[in-house]
Amino acid sequence: MVAHILKLKLRLLANGFKRSVGQLVGVIIGGVYALGMIVMLTLAAWFTAGESAIAGEVSIIVASLVVLGWAVIPPLLTGVDLTLEPSRFVHFGIPQKVLGPALVLSGFISVPAILTIVGLIGGSLTFRYDPLTLVVGIVAAIITAVMAVLVCQYLTIMATALRAKRRFREFTFAVLFLILVCLGPIISSIAMAASSLLDLVVPIANVLAYTPLGSAAALPGAIVAGNYVQFGICLVLTVIYLAGLYWLVSRATAKATVTPPPEQQAAKQSGLGFFKYAPSTPAGAVGARALTYWFKDPRYAIGVLMVPVLPLIFWFVGNQTGNFTMMFLLGPFIGILLGFSISADISYDNTAFALHVLTGVSGRADRAGRALACLTLSIIPVLAAAILPGAISGEVWRIPGDIGMSLAALLVALGVASVASARYTYAVPLPGDNPMKTPPGNGMRVALTQLATFTTMGVLLIPVIIPYLIGWFQESQGFNYLTLGIGLVLGMGLFFGGLVLGGKWYENRAPELMQAVMLNK
Amino acid sequence: MNQIALDIRGLAKQFGPKVAVDNVSLQVPSGSFYGLVGPNGAGKTTMLSMATGLLRPDAGQALVNGVDIWADPQAAKATMGVLADGVRQFDRLTGRQLVTYSGLLRGMDRDDVTTRTEDLLRVMDLSDDGDKLVVDYSAGMTKKISLATAMIHSPKLLVLDEPFEAVDPVSAANIRDILNDYVKFGGTVIVSSHVMDLVQRMCTHVAVIAGGVLKAQGSVDEVRGEMTLEDRFVDLVGGRANNEGLSWLRTSSN
Repeated sequence: MVAHILKLKLRLLANGFKRSVGQLVGVIIGGVYALGMIVMLTLAAWFTAGESAIAGEVSIIVASLVVLGWAVIPPLLTGVDLTLEPSRFVHFGIPQKVLGPALVLSGFISVPAILTIVGLIGGSLTFRYDPLTLVVGIVAAIITAVMAVLVCQYLTIMATALRAKRRFREFTFAVLFLILVCLGPIISSIAMAASSLLDLVVPIANVLAYTPLGSAAALPGAIVAGNYVQFGICLVLTVIYLAGLYWLVSRATAKATVTPPPEQQAAKQSGLGFFKYAPSTPAGAVGARALTYWFKDPRYAIGVLMVPVLPLIFWFVGNQTGNFTMMFLLGPFIGILLGFSISADISYDNTAFALHVLTGVSGRADRAGRALACLTLSIIPVLAAAILPGAISGEVWRIPGDIGMSLAALLVALGVASVASARYTYAVPLPGDNPMKTPPGNGMRVALTQLATFTTMGVLLIPVIIPYLIGWFQESQGFNYLTLGIGLVLGMGLFFGGLVLGGKWYENRAPELMQAVMLNK
Repeated sequence: MNQIALDIRGLAKQFGPKVAVDNVSLQVPSGSFYGLVGPNGAGKTTMLSMATGLLRPDAGQALVNGVDIWADPQAAKATMGVLADGVRQFDRLTGRQLVTYSGLLRGMDRDDVTTRTEDLLRVMDLSDDGDKLVVDYSAGMTKKISLATAMIHSPKLLVLDEPFEAVDPVSAANIRDILNDYVKFGGTVIVSSHVMDLVQRMCTHVAVIAGGVLKAQGSVDEVRGEMTLEDRFVDLVGGRANNEGLSWLRTSSN
């Protein structure tokens, strides 16, 4: 039975790759990249063997980071492959004694798990001078990997039970959002402390050695140091942690196989919301629907995650270099980012897009509705980002130029995105899915599409950029007003041009778009 | 008045090596209640997708009330309401918003949309759930609200792919009454279904499709002859396994 479940997992993995060639290529590129990293790590471990006095401590920290990564990233952020989640076996009546180990073992049949094991074993080569230590190191590496996968499975089962509730999903999303916003400051403070970081390695490692994160990895280091007391303690702790975790995972698995999915509390909204205020035209309806989704669907917020983060990052950079020039570029950057955010709109609709195809809504109305919804939400942040830096720094002369440049960026980005999204769709998290989850093997295609879109926006903006830069460097108010004029004319022109061209492409390709979103590609 | 509400002429679609729909032609007369039956994977949904503008056919035409849907999609779609199978709805909208959206997308007048939305919610027995998000609806409720989005513009032709799946018997009876009424006053309905009994009772015409090929079409009595529709269907499709069945699936053998 265990073998059957393992075989099932292997088959699922293989079939996942078969789904599309593009995806396979993406996975291979990602795999080669990860393998490259592992080879580098292994080489580093090989050559620093015996040379570093803190090899033991470093391997504790590396192992702890690996376990921590497995504990945090899959359950909370990316979501794990839950094809074999325990609740799917509810109907089979498999004895718990069999199902537990089978599901735990099947957790190891995944590309990241295998890479983790290989990487950790590679890292243990740092102990290659002493055969006994090397053996202990390799065993410790494997135990660490087991610990990582077990922790991940346990937390995933726990998180899945909670995540089935939409409220909780949206709540975690909000928390993550806050953390990400704070990430800039956190990283820069760590960077400032970097000089003293080396002094911290030993004490931190000493603490981690007694936690589930690093107890196994502490074993080879203890032998090298000749500290057999620590070796003994860590060995006992490792066994306890491992057994305890295994017990927790089996118990959680057992419980999940007999727990029915939780009841949902239905959300209510009385009245028509945005539909009440939007004009009674197809374009107005599309706009109202898009606006509703901007507020109700976390995937939209993820798309514009950078917008509140950008000012913080720029401000921190300015704080550290004493030069706040970057702040003046906030308006154009935010304009482009916000305008670009509608380029995955049809992909986000997924098969609900069928309603647009079936009603025969005109391409222009579809494009205009989506673009105007985004414009309605963006116009105030963009204007604020354009006006405030100039106003705060007292350089009032430059504000017209900033406004012109920023509005042009927003409008041109909306126009280009309106065209691009009528032609290119890509795999996105499904409606109601974890918004952070990226479908695998999609990277290249998305990157190419986005690069092409951004390049097009940049090229189209050149007529505004030139007077803007002249106005900036010559501190000429005349050129700034010229920028404002050109920006508004060019922006409006390309915005409406994008709607018309995008609408035309949309009408020619609506059925093909429909097929693409059905496959989510 | 066009005599043929949906005229499918030689529609064909191939996915890779698999021929999903092979040169199917069928005529759905105006004012008929037309059943489209076939086993799983027969190509019903593929064919209806091509006839409703969701999937571009490799060859062939589909004329909706005389208008070629692939030559003039907007005009053809204006007279047709479709319940597609296996597609999501904009489920972050409430039921009321979704039906309203479907009306406004078709360029209807706001007052008409408002009154018709309330009427549709009432007959679908969803008045109390109109303010709930569609994502929180059950499968049957989602089916009903999707049906409402297909009917709000009072189309001449309704194409319904598996309309009764997951719908409770009371709602199904209500929906049947609505559809019968609609046909009585000149509308045309095409439903696809696996439930032969239902098709035999409800439909005036029927087409049998299997393996992407049209096996029979005509009035229900023509197609079934002396048999029940179900027996005739199994006959046409040739699917009834005549081996011994599952001899071990007998509780008495234990």
